[in-house]
Amino acid sequence: MSEHTVASFDEDLAQISKLIHGMGELAGLMVGSSTRALLGADNALAQHVISDDAIMDARQRELDGRAITLIAKRQPMADDLRSVLGAIRMAGDMERIGDLAKNIAKRVGAVGEHTVPRDLSHSIESMAQLVLEQVHAVVDEYSVGNAPALSKLRTDDERIDVKYTSVFRELLTYMMEDPRNITACTHLLFCAKNLERIGDHVTNIAENAYYVLTGEQLPPNRPKLDETAAPAA
Amino acid sequence: MKPMLSNEIAMSDAIALAPKTTKIEVKDLNFYYGESKALKNISLSLPARSVTAFIGPSGCGKSTLLRVFNRIYELYPKQRADGQVLLDGKNILDRSQDLNLLRTKIGMVFQKPTPFPMSIYENIAFGIRLYEKLSKSEMDVRVEQALHRAALWNEVKDKLDASGLSLSGGQQQRLCIARTVAVKPEVILLDEPASALDPLSTAKIEELIDELQVDYTIVIVTHNMQQAARVSSQTAFMYLGELIEYDKTEKMFTSPGEKRTQDYITGRFG
Repeated sequence: MSEHTVASFDEDLAQISKLIHGMGELAGLMVGSSTRALLGADNALAQHVISDDAIMDARQRELDGRAITLIAKRQPMADDLRSVLGAIRMAGDMERIGDLAKNIAKRVGAVGEHTVPRDLSHSIESMAQLVLEQVHAVVDEYSVGNAPALSKLRTDDERIDVKYTSVFRELLTYMMEDPRNITACTHLLFCAKNLERIGDHVTNIAENAYYVLTGEQLPPNRPKLDETAAPAA
Repeated sequence: MKPMLSNEIAMSDAIALAPKTTKIEVKDLNFYYGESKALKNISLSLPARSVTAFIGPSGCGKSTLLRVFNRIYELYPKQRADGQVLLDGKNILDRSQDLNLLRTKIGMVFQKPTPFPMSIYENIAFGIRLYEKLSKSEMDVRVEQALHRAALWNEVKDKLDASGLSLSGGQQQRLCIARTVAVKPEVILLDEPASALDPLSTAKIEELIDELQVDYTIVIVTHNMQQAARVSSQTAFMYLGELIEYDKTEKMFTSPGEKRTQDYITGRFG
């Protein structure tokens, strides 16, 4: 894309873009750390995630301020307008990802007091891995402007939903097996739900990023990978 | 991929199939200032009772195109047009076209307010008298109607005998619009009508344009992109005498189809 006649306009847009990428990277870091903290009962790492959330919130406020100033000063049009509005919305989703990661981190202490069955750790870990891949991919694909890949990311979220359903069933089994598992498993269920919600926010970011890049909205209903999987509550 | 017209202009089906009837249809229009070709093979259709904006950098031909619609260019030597401009299906470039009749149907308002050096009342009545013979009371009604239509009545009703030149710039421009609508035109051409006005006067002109489109087909040339985005239903982007893109205004300013349009409206030109 060629440069604007007014160079400071490019600088303003670049600042917003830098903030978005920074927030994306921080979101990835927080999701990765919170699940590592959960599975390794690492309270120090969990505290780190909780303090990162304050940084995420501050970045979102900074982005909002810059975007509003840019709109007032420059009256952006076409792709510029889409990228500024898209940034505001994507930042909202990233901030929510930060909140959900913080929520997982806050449960580390509670889960750590109980033993988590090894097989279950494995399921949560592989679900977290799927989510983390999605978070990294959405940031990377937006950076390089790969619209088809963003559209595919949205479809790929279905894999997370399927995984969540299986973790849900697995947790139920452990709770029925031994009522002493109930506290830990309930916390883990919330963590799994948080991961699933993070996947939804990634989908929102992918949809927004796709619109920013192409000017077209993706169709409202994404194709289902697994029509037979009954969604867990 | 949307179908492209033969001359490579991106135009959505929504415009091509607009429910509104076509008021002006331009077909293969070329325009020359002496040897220099200022408009190159322009084709587009303007829907009736709707606002169409022409945008583009200086010298792109947007004002020239506007000037073809009422053949005002014929006041100058060595300027000529070929091709067709159909007003309700009838070619106005035809030699048999009565120019006075054409200019009653297609009124024009210029960048700088151009009130006649006469009273506010006479500014309006003057044009009407050229075409109609009205009694004093009938004329009074027409003058009042025109001033109401241009949202100027309340400001001037107590000083109709004052000179048109005594009004502020914004009022003078609305007086010119009143003078234009007084002769009951079908099309109103606005050549940067608010570029010399302060923001409040500009807002009043834009509000007026919004009201007038119920009865008139309006074509506006403007350098103010936000103004084009605010007032028009469809926008044409011109560059170096060519029509680059013509589409719904909403589409043009959020996701234009042509890179040159995008570069221009986002301020990346040149």
